[in-house]
Amino acid sequence: MSLALSLAPLAYVACPECDLLLNPVVPEPGDKAYCPRCGYLLQRPRKRSIERTLALSLTGLILIVPANLLPMVGIKIFGNSQDGNLWTGVSALFKEDMWAVAVLVLLSSVLLPLVNLGLAFLIGFHLFMHKANNQLARWMHWYEHLNEWAMLEVYALGIIVACVKLAGMAELRFGLGLFAFIGLLIVNAMLSNELDCYFFWQRIAQLTKK
Amino acid sequence: MLKKPLKTAFMQGFIRCHDCGSLLKSDPKCLCPVCGHHVSARKPNSVQYTLALIISALCLYIPANIFPIMSVTQLGVAETHTIVGGIVALIQSDMVPIALLVLIASILVPLMKLLGLSLLLLCVHYRWQVNARLFTRLYRVIAFVGRWSMLDIFMISILVALVDLRGVAQVIAGPAATAFAGVVVLTMLAAKSFDPRLIWDHQLSYE
Ligand SMILES: [Zn+2]
Ligand SMILES: [Zn+2]
Repeated sequence: MSLALSLAPLAYVACPECDLLLNPVVPEPGDKAYCPRCGYLLQRPRKRSIERTLALSLTGLILIVPANLLPMVGIKIFGNSQDGNLWTGVSALFKEDMWAVAVLVLLSSVLLPLVNLGLAFLIGFHLFMHKANNQLARWMHWYEHLNEWAMLEVYALGIIVACVKLAGMAELRFGLGLFAFIGLLIVNAMLSNELDCYFFWQRIAQLTKK
Repeated sequence: MLKKPLKTAFMQGFIRCHDCGSLLKSDPKCLCPVCGHHVSARKPNSVQYTLALIISALCLYIPANIFPIMSVTQLGVAETHTIVGGIVALIQSDMVPIALLVLIASILVPLMKLLGLSLLLLCVHYRWQVNARLFTRLYRVIAFVGRWSMLDIFMISILVALVDLRGVAQVIAGPAATAFAGVVVLTMLAAKSFDPRLIWDHQLSYE
């Protein structure tokens, strides 16, 4: 394997979806830069992206505890009541030997959201403190790749559909866990909106070069 | 007459790192200095991977729709539902908006992904001259909607956990749930392994 390549002069960037060579523009925070050829969203700078990432990921890491531990939705049929949270669905599927589905649900609703928040926090913390770490690029890589597999908002829609289905046959009640879950959902959406990947990669490149 | 082609990074001897976006001097078999990943001008064997994943997803799509996705026991009477059956049951109980939602998430989205990705592969393979901007947009829609198909799986996991009153009221997940989960995962991976730059590479005229 040959040694690391030299970086091309920073005068150019390439569009990831059509490979067009472009002069990098630096839009104002809040503005967006699109690829002129394919319309890919190249950059969307945010004000204080690092600080907000740090704050939001920390909030998310706190909220994820009650969202996982407290009951979210409960039902009452014929006098028997049953509470459910993120974990009961997984364990019920395991009990029915649907382990593949159970693992998928576990990953996409519990583990990967947690891992992603943790990664965002770690990256934000290192960039905030200007601390170099040779794992930074790996964390960022995993953050970007796993983001798609953390599906809290799809789960929320699943809760709504399940509740509509159950409303006819049982009495529903909503627990504190559901409110923590909704909070987590909002924080997560804000986090992926505030985390400016382009800017983060630039900072990571600067830190690794030193 | 052809328009003067715009310059792509590849034509100019540059490679964009898939992970961190750094632009590097083209030299295959090298590692990116920023993130340490192998760089290549296009995702390696993108078409082959995508095709293999689409075919696997298609194989699972059939059992996912034939077998029951869950069985609902109410007052001792068991009833099994396929994906379509579940939607019909929702319509019969006058929950049309939710039925529409499930129809989109569990039938139309996977089908659109399979057909859309096949169309993209055909376009790349036969070097069709197309409106590449439109095809790239199709790719983006496919990549975006993929995860929403998990709706049915999550709903079942919630129902299975909550409705568990043996003999009286119980929901049990069926074999189609595993097949359907497989379809969702495989189509998501297929969308991820497709490289949209291939659509642009064969276009003779550039917008
Ligand atoms: Zn582009
Ligand atoms: Zn890189």
